[in-house]
Amino acid sequence: MATAVDKTKSRLGARGLRGLLLIGPAVLFLVAFFVLPLFDNAMRSFATADGQGFTLARYVQLLTDRFYLGVTLETVVLSTVVTLICAAIGYPVAYFLVRKAGRWSGLVIFLLIAPLLTSIIMRTFGWQVLFARRGLVNNLLVQELGWLERPLQIMNTPAIAIIGLVHVLVPFMVLSIATVLQGIDRRLEESAQILGAGRWRTFREVTLPLSADGIGTGAILVFMIANGSFVTLVLLGGGFQTLPLFIYQQFNTTRDFSMASAMSTVLLVIALACLYLQLRLVRRQGGS
Amino acid sequence: MAAELRLADIHKSYGPVQAVDELDLTVGEGELLALLGPSGCGKTTTLRMVAGFEEPDRGTIRIGGDDVTYQPPHKRNLGMVFQNYSLFPHRTVAENIAFGLRMSGASRAEQQTQVARMLDMIRLPGREDMYPNQLSGGQQQRVALARSLVVNPRVLLLDEPLGALDRSLRESMQFEIREMQQRLGITTLLVTHDQEEALSMSDQVAVMNAGRILQIGAPSTIYDRPASRFVAEFLGTSNILTGKADADGRKLAAGAYSFALPEPQPAGAPVVLSIRPERMVLGDEAERCPSRLRGRITGAVFRGSYAAYQVRVEGMENEIFVYRQADGPLGAITYRVGEEHWLGWNADDGILVDPE
Repeated sequence: MATAVDKTKSRLGARGLRGLLLIGPAVLFLVAFFVLPLFDNAMRSFATADGQGFTLARYVQLLTDRFYLGVTLETVVLSTVVTLICAAIGYPVAYFLVRKAGRWSGLVIFLLIAPLLTSIIMRTFGWQVLFARRGLVNNLLVQELGWLERPLQIMNTPAIAIIGLVHVLVPFMVLSIATVLQGIDRRLEESAQILGAGRWRTFREVTLPLSADGIGTGAILVFMIANGSFVTLVLLGGGFQTLPLFIYQQFNTTRDFSMASAMSTVLLVIALACLYLQLRLVRRQGGS
Repeated sequence: MAAELRLADIHKSYGPVQAVDELDLTVGEGELLALLGPSGCGKTTTLRMVAGFEEPDRGTIRIGGDDVTYQPPHKRNLGMVFQNYSLFPHRTVAENIAFGLRMSGASRAEQQTQVARMLDMIRLPGREDMYPNQLSGGQQQRVALARSLVVNPRVLLLDEPLGALDRSLRESMQFEIREMQQRLGITTLLVTHDQEEALSMSDQVAVMNAGRILQIGAPSTIYDRPASRFVAEFLGTSNILTGKADADGRKLAAGAYSFALPEPQPAGAPVVLSIRPERMVLGDEAERCPSRLRGRITGAVFRGSYAAYQVRVEGMENEIFVYRQADGPLGAITYRVGEEHWLGWNADDGILVDPE
């Protein structure tokens, strides 16, 4: 008896050891270069100036001070606006991709993903060429068509930052929605039609509610990435004062590392909250 | 609200494929017609044209005399039940059933009474607030039926409605749907590839193949008097004997054999004879049959209410199937594989069919 138990034990032990060896390097790497720094970062945000004590002062300041609250709010508002625009643009594209593109769907997906494959520098210069004071768009509107008296000021306004973010983030929205749309049984829509619902009514009553999960997943994804976006905002300007930009500023100009740490923790908490929401969405889908 | 459904000269092709070819079909008021055929025969395309999801290239579809050929589906006032039920997963049973009423602008109170009435009819009272995925397959199917009937449709379309159910449930649902259809007197078009379903549920069966209707008739006629070889073989098992009529046209000459024909044929004409396995006689009684063969039993299968035998006859291409009603205790197999026996049939049980 005893030997049998010992045997199974040792066999389990051997299997566990082999498993540990396999995931070991990845775990070690993540712990050393991701978890520990994050932990260190979080600890720094709680440390008093002399590095000895524990304080919540920075979080109190972040969450009560008008200025800092404004920064957090601006971050969330910008991300929300970008998310809403992505959903508005992304849904029709996803619908077209799934329902109408047919054999062209590969090409549509490539065109969608193309912006993600180009470097941020190239994209930024692209926007310059298009939207500069004497850029393509203004040339067209003022000189060629004569629709406007004066060139539009787009570069260095919030608009260009939003356009830039939407441009890179819309594929995430489209692909999230397309995946769900793909899975909707067309006969559900046909059932609604037979029962007297026109095209628009069918869309509103059946297609849209059934693809809500796709919109949800896409929205969370876009919102999270927009929340943390930095390079696009730095390069395109637009005068936004968001958390990532402010963290950068704290590090480089103000050199208040602890405040930067606190802000990045706030950003992290928002991201975790989003992940939690997404997890719940996925679980609901799995359950039904 | 029942209405006659009439399809005239319907053509539909997808590229080079002729899906439906010169189809004429009438389903009388309150009648149930089954479109029966193998997959890809055009039966589903036909149903989808009646529903309005596809447009025919040519021809007209009339419901109760109105030309609806190019009318969009939501204006046709039809009911439809799909194979996978297609209940709205995000809506409760009550909301599913009330959907059609809501689309036509019925009041909330009216919706409620109708839903309760339908749930009583399908014997699922009190399930208003459940979601489709909380119901069994058979219950979902009944809810789908209720959802399509609550709007008093002019025509009910059933697309392989029992295909997803298991065998025992399928049989009781056949009775249930048929009973409801007759009680409500609703014109119904049923599409199925299951011959048993077609035979047991309908007033008329239309057998389709390759986009064409081969034969329309009452189930018993289609089964007992198949017009063509395809119909004979698609509906149940048939023993097919091919050959030519002999000099006086009274017998079929097939290789070394010769069988009496049910009616005289022109001399030398190619003849195809179909005999149902249950019309075949095996053993000593067969010696008295005018048409008989000697063969060796190569297979014997117990099938509950009857026994099925496979008999190999010297010089014949295909084995002959014979079904024998249970005569011993519960269809015990009375003949053994390897034994040699006579098998035969009466001239009237041989049916002349079109070679196609």
